[in-house]
Amino acid sequence: MADAEEHHLIQSKHKAINALLPYAVLQEFGGKTGILDAFLHVARASKMPKFEWHHAREYASTMFSKASLHTIILVSPHIYWGLLTERRDLVQQWAAAISAVPYTEEVAQSVVGTLLQIAYYSQLLPHIPTDIWSWLNKRPSLPPTCEGRYYGTRLPVAKAVLELKDIEILKSYFLLVWSEWDHLKDSVFDESCASIHEHFNEPWGGWHREELIQHLDHILTQLDQGLEHLQQHNPNLEEYHFQRMKDQYRKLKDTLLEVVTGVSCLIIILHCILTQWTCAGSHTRFMCALPPPCP
Amino acid sequence: MVASVFIINIQSQLQPDTGEETTALLRVLIYKIDNTSFGTDTPTLPQWTGPPHSIVQVQALLYASLASSFLSAFLAMLGKQWLNQYASTDMRGTAIERSQNRQRKLDGIIAWYFNYVMELLPLIMQAALLLLGCALSRYLWGVNITVASVVIGITSFGIFLYLFIITAGTISGSCPYQTPGSHALHYLWPQAKKILHSTTLSVASALGDGFRGSETRKVIRKNVSYHEPWQYRREIVPFFRDMIFELPRALAIDVYHLGKVMTWSLHTFAVGAYHLSSTTAISLVSYLHGSPSTLERGVDWQLAVLDLRCISWMLQTSLDKTIHLATFKHLAAMTELANFDPTLAKDCFKAFVSCIDIKYHEVVVIRGLEELAAVSAMCIFSTISHLLVMDPTSSVLEEVHQDYLKVFPAQANFRDNYFYYTMNALQGLYFQSWTRQGFHWNGYKPSLHEHAIAAQNFVKISWFKYQGIQGKVPCFVLRFALHSLSLDPLPSTPVIANCLLIIAIDLGCDVSDIIFGNR
Repeated sequence: MADAEEHHLIQSKHKAINALLPYAVLQEFGGKTGILDAFLHVARASKMPKFEWHHAREYASTMFSKASLHTIILVSPHIYWGLLTERRDLVQQWAAAISAVPYTEEVAQSVVGTLLQIAYYSQLLPHIPTDIWSWLNKRPSLPPTCEGRYYGTRLPVAKAVLELKDIEILKSYFLLVWSEWDHLKDSVFDESCASIHEHFNEPWGGWHREELIQHLDHILTQLDQGLEHLQQHNPNLEEYHFQRMKDQYRKLKDTLLEVVTGVSCLIIILHCILTQWTCAGSHTRFMCALPPPCP
Repeated sequence: MVASVFIINIQSQLQPDTGEETTALLRVLIYKIDNTSFGTDTPTLPQWTGPPHSIVQVQALLYASLASSFLSAFLAMLGKQWLNQYASTDMRGTAIERSQNRQRKLDGIIAWYFNYVMELLPLIMQAALLLLGCALSRYLWGVNITVASVVIGITSFGIFLYLFIITAGTISGSCPYQTPGSHALHYLWPQAKKILHSTTLSVASALGDGFRGSETRKVIRKNVSYHEPWQYRREIVPFFRDMIFELPRALAIDVYHLGKVMTWSLHTFAVGAYHLSSTTAISLVSYLHGSPSTLERGVDWQLAVLDLRCISWMLQTSLDKTIHLATFKHLAAMTELANFDPTLAKDCFKAFVSCIDIKYHEVVVIRGLEELAAVSAMCIFSTISHLLVMDPTSSVLEEVHQDYLKVFPAQANFRDNYFYYTMNALQGLYFQSWTRQGFHWNGYKPSLHEHAIAAQNFVKISWFKYQGIQGKVPCFVLRFALHSLSLDPLPSTPVIANCLLIIAIDLGCDVSDIIFGNR
């Protein structure tokens, strides 16, 4: 109850808190980080999908010009990039800051959160350096209400990741955006199913599939605990989304299991062929490397 | 002088008449020599029993008239002295200090009802004239009625004319024949009318009820119906007999009830009159001595109040734009707008409107009046926002709002003017919103002073709105804070402090000590 009250209180005061952001950045420029730390703390605790007050984004360039690199990264997820699509320079500044800041879990959360937001906008996407996508592989734990993950479940981001043609990044992307906190858009769900069939069907990709299945199992376990349990952490969850998530993640797991079955059958067939052709010694070695037969 | 002549003329009649006494003595001497001279009459010495009663009355009236004339002359001389003292420049210093001194004197004149005292002079003279007329009429009545009639006629005409003038002055404010009497009646009449109206209504309803339930009426009706037809010989005797027996009791009951009604009505009237007199007395006392809180607030506050009255007076009496500019600058520099006359906001608005012209929704400043327009705009904003906080029910707020809507069309554009930001802020106050343009100064940056005034007033508005039913600071004020705090370089420290206060207020911090405690 106290948590819900706190959430509502922060929600009702988010304009005032956001009004402090440019000043906090300017103060940080002067060496005083107190207000900025307080702002980031409240923003994280807000559990609001959009903590940002849309008027505050008008001052993003002022903030980026004065903020430290570390601050640029931490503040970026709280900026609504939708109205900054003309500001490629801001993306470049952000990308430059990433390469200069040492890794921490907090930094990784912010980078990934911002990356998924920026990638959603076609005007900004080309200005994201390719190497930044590798930050997805760090797989930071995104908070239950995360603007980045919300945008990550949209088709433009999914396509952008697929176009990278990097199985590791794709897996990391799925592991980040598949969660008990967000349902997938229908188009993204279809794309995910297709990509599972397309990219995760190699016989040697067993540990990728295993990791994804484990992740989906975890999500389904969480979903089985009920909506109320999840709403304690994300008050914005609704019954409709909850049911959709259950269906979607169950289907995704089924898809993955289908792929695993298909791959296993293929391997058995291969195994039979190879058994006829190879000697007993080499056969034994080969069998040890095979995945377990399908149930 | 005229009274003196009459007094001298009639004065002899207040003493024994020596001529008459000599005549009486001669008659006695003649009678002693020849007692047949006067027939059977025996002359006696007359005894002085005092002047005739009518002469005493006449002389009293004449002396009263003379004394009144002297008193008015005395007051006239004193008044001349007082006015000389008021008009004298008895202080050296800056224009502001001298204005304060003059305003202090003016306030004293108002507080001590100097104008009423001065208006007493003609009143005393009029009273002296009336007394002279009465005395003459009375005196001449004893001498010759025809001559007296002329004087009485003219005096009565004068009295009726004066009463008519008072009535006309009371009824119509635009009547040129205003007198102190009509002023007093004009003030008291509406309240007296209310009391009279309520008393009359209650008396009328009580009398109506009393008449309908009257015992006398019942007795008469009963006897009339009982002895029907009572006018016939057979019935008339028992009819009157019964009436004689029953009427006194019925009359006594009715008189008792009537007495109760009259007592109650008198009580109502007395309560109303007491209320009227007490409110008048309280307002008089508070005006003369100021409210207790005035004394507690200290010299600075009193000086601020004095300054604001001085500013109001200057704006209302001067047409000189240079004086207006200096006055507005002083007003804009004031941090404490304590207890000001709400009409000051209207004066500021009028002054601002006199500096501008509107062409196709574009607000254009008249050449040479740019500074005055900018400063007066700031003053409008300050006074309006202060009123919104301190006296949100003030009718002046609505009046200025209506004037604003009349003067400025809906699409009025203040762009490219020095008061662009301030007028946007004023719009924000009135319409509880802020246009997008309000934050994008488009090359125009508000002066430090303009910015500071806006911040200062927005803090008060935030506090007021937060304390109200909304429980939150208006969005447009938060936008102002956001914008101000994002400026690079940052605005002045007071502006930053006030913007942080705005945010603190919205976050629910108790900052009343900081806002109202001058911390």
